[in-house]
Amino acid sequence: MDLRLNEDQEMFKKVAADFVQAEAPSTMLTQQFLKKETFLPDLYAKIAGLGWLGMLVPEQYGGAGLSYLDCGVVFEELGRAPVPGPVFSSGVLAAQIVLDGGSEAQKQELLPAICGGDAVVIPAIGDHGAHWGPETVATTCSQSGGTLTLQGTKRHVYDAEGATAFLCAVRGGDGAVSVVLVDRNAPGVTVTPHNGFMVSVSEVSFDGVQVPAANLIGAAGAGWELLDKAAERAIPILCAYKVGACQEIYEFTVRYTNERRAFGQLIGRFQRVQDHCVELSIHMDRARMATYETLWELGEGMPAEAGIHESKAAASEGYHQACSYSHMVHAGPGTDYLHPLMVHSVLAHTLYQYLGTPDYHKRRMVDALYPNT
Amino acid sequence: MDFNLQEDSPEMTEFRKEVRAWMEENMKGSEHLRWSASWSTREDEEEYGFRRGLGEKLGKKGWLFPMFPVEYGGAGLTVDHQFVLETELARYGLNLTHIFYTLARIVAPVALHWGTEEQKREFLPPIARGEIVVWQVLTEPQSGSDVANCQTRAIRDGDDYIVTGQKVMVGHHLPPDVLWTLVCTDPDGKRHENLSWLHIPANLPGITIQHMHLMMGIKNAVFFDGVRVPAKYLIGGENNGWKVAHTHLELEHGGDGRVGTDPVVDRVVDYCRNHEVGGKPLIEDPHVRDIIADMILEINTVNRMNRRIFWHRFVKEPHAYGGAQFRYYQRMVRLRNGERLQKIMGADALIPDHGVHEVLDFEYVIRSGPGQLHGGGTLDTDRLIFARRAGIGRQTREKAPDTV
Repeated sequence: MDLRLNEDQEMFKKVAADFVQAEAPSTMLTQQFLKKETFLPDLYAKIAGLGWLGMLVPEQYGGAGLSYLDCGVVFEELGRAPVPGPVFSSGVLAAQIVLDGGSEAQKQELLPAICGGDAVVIPAIGDHGAHWGPETVATTCSQSGGTLTLQGTKRHVYDAEGATAFLCAVRGGDGAVSVVLVDRNAPGVTVTPHNGFMVSVSEVSFDGVQVPAANLIGAAGAGWELLDKAAERAIPILCAYKVGACQEIYEFTVRYTNERRAFGQLIGRFQRVQDHCVELSIHMDRARMATYETLWELGEGMPAEAGIHESKAAASEGYHQACSYSHMVHAGPGTDYLHPLMVHSVLAHTLYQYLGTPDYHKRRMVDALYPNT
Repeated sequence: MDFNLQEDSPEMTEFRKEVRAWMEENMKGSEHLRWSASWSTREDEEEYGFRRGLGEKLGKKGWLFPMFPVEYGGAGLTVDHQFVLETELARYGLNLTHIFYTLARIVAPVALHWGTEEQKREFLPPIARGEIVVWQVLTEPQSGSDVANCQTRAIRDGDDYIVTGQKVMVGHHLPPDVLWTLVCTDPDGKRHENLSWLHIPANLPGITIQHMHLMMGIKNAVFFDGVRVPAKYLIGGENNGWKVAHTHLELEHGGDGRVGTDPVVDRVVDYCRNHEVGGKPLIEDPHVRDIIADMILEINTVNRMNRRIFWHRFVKEPHAYGGAQFRYYQRMVRLRNGERLQKIMGADALIPDHGVHEVLDFEYVIRSGPGQLHGGGTLDTDRLIFARRAGIGRQTREKAPDTV
């Protein structure tokens, strides 16, 4: 047992932390979130330049071929900002889907472009958005000769704004789910950003969109298994991002208890306020410990299914709760959209159900541990 | 990072083999006496005898306190050895110094830290060899979480202290050999500078011990009526007792950590597999599975917090707020789990004697739920300590004392 980062990871952490401070300060992020502009091409290009868009992708496909823990360490720092944009959705999730399901030619074509930031490939999976599972895929796909025709609307697609292509989950005539690569500019594709208490989420409709049958990623009808397996490996990286967010919230919340005075003393002297910080720390540490243990399990090639779903439940709930407890401590000032807490608060709500709600993942965790025969 | 609890260097692999074989031999026929939350409060002579016996056998090999120097009854081994021993015992749901409830896990490190050379040579070997039972006796009728409000008086008289006072809610149902306690040696002195720490042989004249029947099981009231305690049993110097208490309380307040895991979830799942409602095992009920999910998430967190504290302690970088956080959370989880057990099992969960050892603890988890919230200090003291350690409302963070 050893809870320390290795030397490389300490270096990754420092580079990422310095990057976040220089390139994504909270003063900038609050403005961007207020405008709901979270795909920032310049920032994204810099991230690509640092090699953070393909950390898990083997070097032969333009990635860095690093470990899950290495990648998690960087994403934890990105989450502290939180750095917005499709760093996870394209650089990790889409890359894993292509890596698992793509033909050699597709991998050669897509992965270097994803890692270099030239292609932003966004998974568009459930039509209903809030949940995760094959039953959420309703967009239809019919084949005629060498052409596939897609019809349907994905209600909530995360990071669709900057997409150059979508990995669209579709249902064929036989009812089975497949994954199809769709160019963002194909006729019939419409991206409509959502307004609301969330960011980076759009409705994406595919209205009679025609794509070559060669755009199938993976075998026809085997799409759900492909998506689920790839998502399982990607999810702990997203969790690390949320852990970083919780860490940042914890730190600025504790700092605030040492600055703000009320009733003639620092608010941190009040035991009620201390209690909020205790709960915040528990949510943060619960997510952190589950996530890092799972990243380690994945890296070791050990069975990690239960840990993956546990981490997702703990991190989504944890991020959400960390914000709530921080709001209790910050009161009025924390509700100003120009306060760093608001960036996190909006994102925590956005990500809560992304790739499945905490309750969904808790059930998956129990199913993994105690299969229901 | 490495979360593996079982993979070792070649040297440790050999040691693990040795320990595993030793445990298999010594657990033969007693495998049913596994970890149990309630055992120390039940009057089960077989179980108690087994634990004492195993403790003594481990102690003879120096394995009960493997890192202690040989001259103090330890084995002079490394943290890696300690880790191997802990993880091998964890296979049986046991862990080293909780094997028998002597509070030795707390007392011994405190003696090592604060004792004089002479005291260490006298006190430590019998503790490390598992030969004696030590109780900590701190709580008084008028000082619970506020331990420093201690009223038990010790007056110096020649080579002795004469101790008079009362401690309550301490120990368990079998008698102790030694009492470790805080006494007031300067009633006019400043708070925290008026206390001293004493090692008191439990057979001295003037000591009376009476059972108290509490929610959590049997505890005791200890009366000191003019007890003559040799002054050589003063630990850490006169009026320095609060500093000694600080080390002691850090260990009691979650600072010791452990690598074993709480098996409550496995036992619940076993129960749910073996009990049917409407022709279907409970484990297939979606509502039951949701409750189990919440238990798993919380118990896993408790276990990981505990392992994290253990690791930080033995690499000598004590986790500042880990102990207080763990202790608060663990006790709240236990309370919540009590209710969850009733949701799943109904009144079955309230019956201690199913004739099945594995489920004995359910009743105890429920019954002790509210009571264990304050043992060794309330939830509120845990959160207070957390705030000091995390630097909430204060610029300077209090450091965790070194507790190895």
